[in-house]
Amino acid sequence: MERRIASKVVNLTKSFGGLKAVDSVNLDFIKGRITGLIGPNGAGKTTIFNLISGFLIPDQGEIWLEDKRIDGLRPWEIARCGIGRLFQDVRVFRNLSVLDNVLLGVINPPGELLVNAFFNSKNIKTKESDILKKAREWIKFVGLEGKENSPAGSLSFGQQKLLALARLLIGDFKILLLDEPTAGVSPLMIKPLLDLIRKIALTGRTVIFIEHNMNVVLDIANWVYFLDEGKVASFGLPQDVLGDPDVRRAYLGI
Amino acid sequence: MNYLLHILIMLCIYGILALSLNLLIGYAGLFSICHAAFYGIGAYASTLLMIKAGFNFFPALIGGIFVSSLFAFLIAYPSLRLRGDYFILATLGFQLIVYSILYNWIGLTRGPYGIPGIPRASLFGFEFDSIPLFLLLNSVIFLLVLFFVKKFYFSPFGRALKAIREDEIAASAMGKNLPLLKIWAFTVAGGVAAISGSLYATYVTYIDPTSFTLDESIFLIAVVLVGGSGNMKGPLVGALFMILLPEALRFLGLPDTIAPNVRQMIYGILLIILMRYKPQGIAGEYKFE
Amino acid sequence: MLAQFIANGLVNGAIYSIVALGFSLIYNTTGIFHIAHGAVYAFSSYIFYTFYRNLNFPLLPSFLLGLFSGVLLGIFMEILVYRPLFIKKASSGIAIVSSIGINVFIVNLIALLYGNETKILFPGVQKTFQFGGVILTRIQVAEFVAFIIIFSIYFLLLRLTNFGKLIRAYANNPTLLSTFGVEVSHVRSWIFAVGSLFAGIASCLVAIDVGMDPNVGMPALLVSAVSMIVGGIGIFESAVIGGFLIGVIQSLVVWQISARWQEAVTFALLIVFLLFRPQGVLGRRKRIEEI
Repeated sequence: MERRIASKVVNLTKSFGGLKAVDSVNLDFIKGRITGLIGPNGAGKTTIFNLISGFLIPDQGEIWLEDKRIDGLRPWEIARCGIGRLFQDVRVFRNLSVLDNVLLGVINPPGELLVNAFFNSKNIKTKESDILKKAREWIKFVGLEGKENSPAGSLSFGQQKLLALARLLIGDFKILLLDEPTAGVSPLMIKPLLDLIRKIALTGRTVIFIEHNMNVVLDIANWVYFLDEGKVASFGLPQDVLGDPDVRRAYLGI
Repeated sequence: MNYLLHILIMLCIYGILALSLNLLIGYAGLFSICHAAFYGIGAYASTLLMIKAGFNFFPALIGGIFVSSLFAFLIAYPSLRLRGDYFILATLGFQLIVYSILYNWIGLTRGPYGIPGIPRASLFGFEFDSIPLFLLLNSVIFLLVLFFVKKFYFSPFGRALKAIREDEIAASAMGKNLPLLKIWAFTVAGGVAAISGSLYATYVTYIDPTSFTLDESIFLIAVVLVGGSGNMKGPLVGALFMILLPEALRFLGLPDTIAPNVRQMIYGILLIILMRYKPQGIAGEYKFE
Repeated sequence: MLAQFIANGLVNGAIYSIVALGFSLIYNTTGIFHIAHGAVYAFSSYIFYTFYRNLNFPLLPSFLLGLFSGVLLGIFMEILVYRPLFIKKASSGIAIVSSIGINVFIVNLIALLYGNETKILFPGVQKTFQFGGVILTRIQVAEFVAFIIIFSIYFLLLRLTNFGKLIRAYANNPTLLSTFGVEVSHVRSWIFAVGSLFAGIASCLVAIDVGMDPNVGMPALLVSAVSMIVGGIGIFESAVIGGFLIGVIQSLVVWQISARWQEAVTFALLIVFLLFRPQGVLGRRKRIEEI
């Protein structure tokens, strides 16, 4: 496979009952690129995310991460391969503190092993305090400083989203799946958020996002796939896809 | 006075059981209806080691922990890869089969006749043969368990368990290996429960299967839920409350023939009311949302 | 000899299937792991007993009153215990603990009122039928016939009637159903009514056969749940496969090993399926994390 392709799905198909939610979909995600998945509700976008991150098993097709096939792997194995996910419904750990939430975002910290609950070597202790420092930095970065010990459930939706973002970023993933990242975020926060996403991509990471806000898509996407009824109906540069009259008719009803 | 000491001893024993079950219910979010089975396996394993193999109490205690952890691991491994309800069913089945084995395998356990004459704990010839001495031993072991469990609760491992309890899907998207973490939690919980079994055996010097039934498992769940789960003090508050409750009932003068049934009925109502109005119990953290 | 034991196994399997169908109806629709199904099972037969032996009602009315009281208890449990939790959107853990609570309460109430000893409705030897080399008592034949009738009615009910459609729709998507103006809580009550009816039929037949004691509910519950898993979750009638499998294997174990280890069969079957085929005979492999 091309060195440039960070991930791809080939002929991906998934049905529920008799309904084909995802129908022979082919997608390429180039390294360092920000790719948008757009389309009407029910087009299969979140299903594709679920398939890539391992929460659903494909009926047919393949999912690749660089030169490794990952379909069939469990979600945590896929996370440990370097694919991170921001959920549409946020999913923060409501009864845990903001700090605990972010600490949990670290992938496979050595402290998590059972034996290390006791045998707290100096090595482990240093690693743990590094993680703590990084967590506090990310919390500050998303603007939640001061709220480290508040239970996540007490935050507003927008703040929970920022928390979920901090939790995702500390994970240092190669590929980020963002499901509607700007939904529910206050208008003031959208620009810094988009700048952050652009910066992430510049470090060589691959971002794939689902969005309904076309301004966001036009702003940051390098490439867009338009999905309709489980199939890829159109793809290309954002302004081309969104300018396409067929797309506008299907999606925007214009 | 001896009566008060007896209560304190039972408090230690049930405190240990509650703290270990809390690791499952309050931390990993796993409902286990087989905790009494591990209590029983610990009791029988250490008893048999003391009586049939001549072990001293302390090595027998370790042996009991080992056997119980092994069983916990073997049960957890197939059941935890699957859905939540399957897991509860598997623990229910395990509880019933352990009871069935303890009751029916007369060659090993003497079945309903029980095993009498269990030696008192002793250390280098010094025997803990009076109640105050036994309370001392119990308390020391209890404090050790408390220290041990605390390390778990506040470790990254404990934190990862809490993530599982809060949201399994988010936890796995963050790379937490769910089955492995749950299996370890279950193994540790089973091993710690065995400690109570050994203490109980050497205290009462007689054990039979009727102390390790499904009803007992349900009682332990009630202890953890009444006191509250997910933190350190909840289970201990629960143990205190549930041990004192029958004593309070005794003051009401219930005839002995119906007292056990009435007690059980009260536990049942207690569970229903708790789950409806105060799922976090008296002093707990986790509300089961 | 073998034929006799298989016949016994099939008769037991028939009873297991009936009570399992009730349990799986409730689980496949509401998602509630209704441990108190066992309490309903025991309760029905005790009310039957009360009317027949204590109040000297004739057999059939007593039987029907036993069934009816089981149905009432099931509906009562739904309204009083499960519905408030459902409204609060409580997790399944809470529902299960509540189920354990009410199960413990009812079973101990029965023990309190009637005592722990086994109660027999028909002491003495039963009339038998002979089929080739196989001998079955009248009640055993009745149990098997009852299963055939109940299963046929249930099968047709689910597919041909409006009620069946409602149940299948509820199982699929209760929220969607309520947007169509269907009073969803009524559907739930009906589901518990039918499920409890099945439990009652099974337990009253067994009561005629061998009698009962307050603790018959838990083994019945275990068999129900394992039958459902063996058959495959998600398909209403699949529990029958599990029921008969358990019945026949248990019988063979009694024949070749010992009656003592009967209950272990249920658990062993559960372990085998959990290890090698968790989706059951008819089910589809699903991810635990499936959203």
